Amino acid sequence: MNTFFSDWFYLSIRNIKLIWRPLLALLPPFFMPIFFFAVNSLSLSSFAKVPGFPDVSYKDFIAPVAIFTAIFFSAGNAGIELVQDIQSGYFKKLIIMPINRLSIVLAKLTEIAVQSIGQGIIMLVLLLIWGVKIQAGFTGVLAIFGMLILFAMAWSCIGMISALRTQNARLVQSLFILVFPLLYLTTSQSPRELLPTTFATITDYNPVTYIIEGIRALILNGWGSSDITYGFLAAAGMFVVLVSLTLMSFKKALK
Amino acid sequence: MQKNIIEVKKISKTYTGDVKAVKNVSFEVKEGEFFGFLGPNGAGKSTTMNMLVNLVKKTSGKILIDGIDLDENPDEIYKRVGFAMQEVGLDEVATAREMLQLHGRLYHMPKADIDEQIKKLLKLVELEKVADKFTSTYSGGMRRRFDLALSLIHKPKILFLDEPTQGLDPHARQLIWGHIKQLNKEGMTIFLTTHFMDEAENLCERIAIMDKGQIVTMGSPEQLKKKHHAKNLEEVFLKTTGSNLGNEEINKNAADPYTRARG
Repeated sequence: MNTFFSDWFYLSIRNIKLIWRPLLALLPPFFMPIFFFAVNSLSLSSFAKVPGFPDVSYKDFIAPVAIFTAIFFSAGNAGIELVQDIQSGYFKKLIIMPINRLSIVLAKLTEIAVQSIGQGIIMLVLLLIWGVKIQAGFTGVLAIFGMLILFAMAWSCIGMISALRTQNARLVQSLFILVFPLLYLTTSQSPRELLPTTFATITDYNPVTYIIEGIRALILNGWGSSDITYGFLAAAGMFVVLVSLTLMSFKKALK
Repeated sequence: MQKNIIEVKKISKTYTGDVKAVKNVSFEVKEGEFFGFLGPNGAGKSTTMNMLVNLVKKTSGKILIDGIDLDENPDEIYKRVGFAMQEVGLDEVATAREMLQLHGRLYHMPKADIDEQIKKLLKLVELEKVADKFTSTYSGGMRRRFDLALSLIHKPKILFLDEPTQGLDPHARQLIWGHIKQLNKEGMTIFLTTHFMDEAENLCERIAIMDKGQIVTMGSPEQLKKKHHAKNLEEVFLKTTGSNLGNEEINKNAADPYTRARG
């Protein structure tokens, strides 16, 4: 195996092992999305009868948010893990090894992708048990995972950039608060048509809106909507921009 | 005659704000030598050591390790050096065996070599019985010993040790000393920084003492005692260095966002 790929592979295995130990640590990210999904789908179900709301159940409408929230919480931990590696001295050990530096970042992204797939599958199974139907079928599920993985890796980069620049766990952890504006200043709870004009304008500038709407289109309508394309473009755009910024921060940190 | 395995030629490190941490330092270390690098806190010894392994980029000067220029081929140098740092830096939820295997892989060693080296190292640092336990369960001494093993997985020619016995009880210190002595006996070059003068006097063949970013004296423990009319190394140390307390430089690599932001 080429040394670049072997470095990437073994570092990814290391990262993945560490997030699964202990297994119980994987559970908390599920609590909040399941809780909010259950509460909102039960208490706000009649919102689906409001004129202007699409002809779907409220639980199907907010299903993407539940999957998304789980990914949001866990991918955010990448920065904390990196701070721990820096503070413990492990990061220094890595950078005086004859390994490709890029593999350190790629292994972190691989960890996030694997974690997202695992958590996405669990959330999806729970939603299916709850009665949510995915109109786009199996290929739609794959497309949903594609968007989720791109977004998760992009979001984890915000934590990593912060970790590399500040090396401070509290500061990195405080980025958690960004989840709320990014997730709720979107069409996550209500269709655009029912939002006040200013709020609707804000959601237009939030890339997460397009990813949620892309996933929602696959769940509610199946293939064929332009929302799916926009969802992918938003996720891919975030991925490219944030991974590039992470690589720049990484390069700077090594100087 | 033994060759120089470390050659340091007029290296300097200046941080932002014209803070000169290391000023024109030059020295050589012979192959197989046990070399001690002493100095008060903030003297620049950790910065110098970090420059030798490329953890800190030097501002000027030249570093040759085993004849290889650090600027030209750092990867070849990484293969030749092991570094047991002050921060032990272990994966808390990985076992010693897993970490050694991973590091062997990252040094691109064949599997058979890794397995053989793991067996040898676990025996050397007397951690065979706990090799499959998570490192979070290890005592301070065990963690230090394991970190030493980890830094040796790729059979380096030179071992850098940054205060390897800091915070350890006398039994654990003796154990570490024994391991290091054994490695040196087998031909490994050791580069040690320590604040324990007895440690340096007992272990090192040659010692350099650094103060305010410069080497102030260098020689064997006996030569240094004779030269500075001192009873022991501690007296040499006190005579040749001033107290830096109150004038220590801040650690530019510290995990302090405010310090880092100001550069």
